[in-house]
Amino acid sequence: MPKQLRIRDPLHDLIEFDEGSHLENVLWRVIQTRPFQRLRRIKQLGFSDFVYPGATHSRLVHSIGVFHTARRLMKVIEKHVSPYEQARADQALAAALVHDLGHGPFSHAFEALGMRFDLRMADHEAVSDMLIRKSEVAEVLRELGSGFPDDVADIVRSAGTRTIYSAVVSSQFDADRLDYMRRDRLMTGSEHAHIDFEWLVANLEVDMLPYGVDQTPLGQIQTFVLGRKAIFAAEAYVLGLFQLYPTIYYHKTTRGVEKLCIELLARLITLVKDGSIKQVGLPSTHPLVKFAKHPDQIEAALALDDTVVWGALPLFVDAKDECIAHLAKRMRDRQLYKCIDVRARIAHDRGDAEAASPEADAVCGNIRDELVTWSTKHKNGAPRILLDEAVRSPYNRLTETKGPLNQINIRTEGDKLVDLAERSKVVAQLETYKAFRVYYAENDTEAMDQINQIIDARIQRWQT
Amino acid sequence: MANLDDAHEAAAIVRDAGGQIVGRTRLQKIAFVLEAAGLGSGFPFRYKHYGPYSEQLTAASQRARVLGVMREIESVAAWGGVYSTFTATMPQDSNLDPARRRLAQEMVNADAVELELAATALFLSYESAPDPWGETEHRKPDKAANGRLDRAKQLYQRLRRIQTPQPLPEL
Repeated sequence: MPKQLRIRDPLHDLIEFDEGSHLENVLWRVIQTRPFQRLRRIKQLGFSDFVYPGATHSRLVHSIGVFHTARRLMKVIEKHVSPYEQARADQALAAALVHDLGHGPFSHAFEALGMRFDLRMADHEAVSDMLIRKSEVAEVLRELGSGFPDDVADIVRSAGTRTIYSAVVSSQFDADRLDYMRRDRLMTGSEHAHIDFEWLVANLEVDMLPYGVDQTPLGQIQTFVLGRKAIFAAEAYVLGLFQLYPTIYYHKTTRGVEKLCIELLARLITLVKDGSIKQVGLPSTHPLVKFAKHPDQIEAALALDDTVVWGALPLFVDAKDECIAHLAKRMRDRQLYKCIDVRARIAHDRGDAEAASPEADAVCGNIRDELVTWSTKHKNGAPRILLDEAVRSPYNRLTETKGPLNQINIRTEGDKLVDLAERSKVVAQLETYKAFRVYYAENDTEAMDQINQIIDARIQRWQT
Repeated sequence: MANLDDAHEAAAIVRDAGGQIVGRTRLQKIAFVLEAAGLGSGFPFRYKHYGPYSEQLTAASQRARVLGVMREIESVAAWGGVYSTFTATMPQDSNLDPARRRLAQEMVNADAVELELAATALFLSYESAPDPWGETEHRKPDKAANGRLDRAKQLYQRLRRIQTPQPLPEL
């Protein structure tokens, strides 16, 4: 009896790989490679399980879910596009499976670390690109053609001609978002942000939309659009994202742990760079030390995952460096910094409508500058103040950089395509999500008083 | 949110380009080429599908707008998309390096797509691409079509002729 290639998934139930399909046989073997198996040890939501203990799902299961969802979207293309290009579809399906290969420990925390120290191997897009083109993943993919790994990497990187097939991997209706919105909701146990997935897919169509750069028109691009009966499902889709930002992705506690982790790893990198390895509490052969020494080596990045960091905590706790020991203890025991939500305080004092206004942005900017100045002057081992800033829009107007692939267009009764923000007053009224929070150690009353004084003074000055 | 220094640096790019830059793409690419020529402000760039891009520059531009040292007006292009026009509202710098002014002003008048292609090829040369122009064409075939890649090469040659602290490499 042939081996059955199937996976039981909490979101999609049974995901089967067709053993009679060369593509799916190859992709099944991609799953068995070391770079893909590493995703088993990287959680999709980083530190969200500090708030939602059930949210421990991995990037491995998400990636398989994205592949499964991409297969559904391919059926839509097959129905609407003639001729259906099997080769491009195969490349896009492979891209859907491997799109997250380059993520590092705690994904976004590691990415932030990379930005601070300009570490190329902490840029998940760059690492994904390298792994797809030149690793054992590439060797397996090459069975589908010598240029297949490069074609797949191009789709993941959005290089080459943008086609409806690449829209499956990157667009407003890409398989990635269609999986993570549903999976993250399920695994956190959240009851909001529900989307009507089946209705959305049933009403997906394919059409051409214009695109350009700045004022220059460039032509038309093929992408997914929605039939006229999907307007409410489209609204719920955008609203779902709007609700996921504050409740899950930018939850203050999740972000608070992330900040501690970033500072811990930043301190590690600084000390290793300075030649003070003995201070960090880890042996020189530890993967984190090796990465800090050789951050430009793909092998050093591949050796890292969430469990490597968690496993290092007991050693960090005994580090000679007080900052590392302090932050590690806090992470291990969930003794997090306290949070002051500046935007919430502005909303309280000035009303909800003002909290995301340009004036509030200016006040937040000034508060930020003062806090940075104070904390720089009053350093004392571990960081005394940590800042968290986020700006995310659940739905943007059509812009030059993202183009029509980032839009939701709905067909009207008169067979015209109209942007969702023009059809839906609800979507048009959605405000950009903005967060500005300040974290401090609960026993650092001096920092707490200083933060409160600075915030109050700035809000007071605005009011007068 | 970006710090005050970065915000002023972002506005200074617009100021030094003649006071106005049309398009976010153009702003990003001008900033990148200035950086490559040793006349930049320290913004780090990474590759995105629209070429070299600095998230820090985007954040700095937003802060500059909040501070009032730069204005951003959004307009709708004929193809339906929204594009931005940035205007600097800060005073001229009497110590401005003439090379920075020349380079920025050469780019501010360039076609946005051709500038994107030239900046992308330059970025890819730093990434050790053996054939930066060929790789640019491979990554952006639609944008490179209709003679735009050749015109991007001509634009790059004009930029190279400007003497800069760090000469732009031959691609």
